[in-house]
Amino acid sequence: MRRVSDIGVIKAEVTKYLKILLCYPMELVFWCVFPVVWVVPFIFQGKALVGGLTSQSFARLTGTDQYIPYVLIGAILNTYVMSALYGMGESLRSESYWGTLEIILGSPSRRVSILIGKALAESIMTTGYAISQSIICVVVFGLEVTVGKILPILLVVALLICGLYGLAMALAAVTLQIKESHSLVHTIEYFFYLFSPVRYPVDINPYIKMVSLVIPITYALIVVRGIMLLNQSIETLWRNVFILFIMDILFLLLGFATFTFMEKRVRQSGTMGHY
Amino acid sequence: MDAIVTEKITKSFKKKGRRRFLSKVESDETIFACDGVNMRIRQGELFGLLGPNGAGKTTLVKVLSTLLIPDSGDVYIEGINTLRDPIAARKILGVTTGGERTLYWKLSAHDNLRYFASLYGISSQEAEKRIAYLLDIMELTDKQHMRLEKFSTGMRQKVSIARAILHDPRVILLDEPTLGLDPSFSRFLRRFIREELNQTQKKTILLTTHYMDEAEQLCDRIAFMNRGRIVVLDTPDNLKRSIPHEEVLELRCVGTLRDNLAGLEGINRSYFTYEGGVTTVRIHADDTEKVMTSVIDIVRKQARIISAHVIKPTLEDVFIHLTGVKLTDDTGEKGE
Repeated sequence: MRRVSDIGVIKAEVTKYLKILLCYPMELVFWCVFPVVWVVPFIFQGKALVGGLTSQSFARLTGTDQYIPYVLIGAILNTYVMSALYGMGESLRSESYWGTLEIILGSPSRRVSILIGKALAESIMTTGYAISQSIICVVVFGLEVTVGKILPILLVVALLICGLYGLAMALAAVTLQIKESHSLVHTIEYFFYLFSPVRYPVDINPYIKMVSLVIPITYALIVVRGIMLLNQSIETLWRNVFILFIMDILFLLLGFATFTFMEKRVRQSGTMGHY
Repeated sequence: MDAIVTEKITKSFKKKGRRRFLSKVESDETIFACDGVNMRIRQGELFGLLGPNGAGKTTLVKVLSTLLIPDSGDVYIEGINTLRDPIAARKILGVTTGGERTLYWKLSAHDNLRYFASLYGISSQEAEKRIAYLLDIMELTDKQHMRLEKFSTGMRQKVSIARAILHDPRVILLDEPTLGLDPSFSRFLRRFIREELNQTQKKTILLTTHYMDEAEQLCDRIAFMNRGRIVVLDTPDNLKRSIPHEEVLELRCVGTLRDNLAGLEGINRSYFTYEGGVTTVRIHADDTEKVMTSVIDIVRKQARIISAHVIKPTLEDVFIHLTGVKLTDDTGEKGE
């Protein structure tokens, strides 16, 4: 009996995802532009409050007075959060809507390679969106990106992706069972907005700061902003990178265990093909 | 060794009772989709599973294909226990269930098959050869790079079957493969299943259908399923010989029948089907000739008779005789 190649499954999953996505060009345009546009009202709001684009209070909390780059970095990295929260669950929901989920999960390939394939495809697309958003930020908002800083940033983004897709697997697993994940995803999304430094420094409130410690994007933002805005080296930020790495392992284990458990449950309840 | 063995497969689902506000109006109900199903299908056999909608056919196919875990019982595919080693079973199983809705309509036939080939561990080179062969045999080579959304239902069903047999499985489960297809596609698929897959390639095939003529035409043996149970299992000829009536009176007419013909003396059972504005009445009687005149008199008063024949019983007659239930939805039935 032939052994199913995990690499082959991952490659096929990525190819399929990208081919289907390219059938919807408007969606691509939307995600390339929307997250940056989403940030603009907050820039104006900040400007209206303090009467300019710098504030001493903001500088005291963050170590930098560059408010615009601060929120733009938050918006770009948050694209990965959005993609992880919505993408994986939606991908499985689409599979069940198309009627292909049962066929995929009824194949002899390993679940983990199918899920990694889906996560990788999402990450590739999201990185594409993040690059286009970065270009918009450089051209329109004058965000400065130094070539030498790109490598450590990519490392942190890769670590962020791993943890987020662990969480995404868990959410996708819940979607298998409840067939609707939007309310849960919205709750988590707003929890992340509120308790992580995407739009504002969490130091503003001690309770928010405490909760932000369990959210992976908090550490990714500290490192990326540290490198880009405070000219810190990755060596001085290693503690945050290490915590992100540990969170990755925990989230991935949690995600895969939840998926395995839920898949067995839907195979027992006979609801795998329902949508 | 048998290709498929099921031992006391039971699968139940809970149907929640109706609720008004917080109080229950109806109590929960447990429905047995499979109720102690025992079945043995021989290697190389084309086996038919017949039953009306809701009989439990699809549930059984899903249990066999490892998509559903039964409450109790065991399933063996070529000796592999599917509950203990589902991955090994999946490698030798090909399944079509859900028809055309099991493919990516935004992808071409070729891209669909390439993707599924990867899920079954088929190498790139081998996949290309196999896809070319299957698309050729399905007469789709010239349309292989066209998106499936532009295909007809029949063409998509062909791709769906090609997907199921892409990895050259030894056992194939076909759940209603010709459902909703026009006659020419149905004919093509039936011939392909019988001649190519079963007779030439010696595949073991489990076919579920509620088309009696399809089962009769294709299957070596047939099991009738009703309310989650196998009612009877035999060859089509033996099944037809098992009912006490050697003949059935069939009347075709235009109009609506109101009277219960089964109430007439000498008639055991009557049922009717509607198709294209024509009502077909079939009557099971101890002595067909004896009741013919009175039946024609009654029907003539209500409808215009197009034809009257005395014919051999079909599998539908056998099924109704055994279960008192119709196989298809568009039938009415009046029994003893």
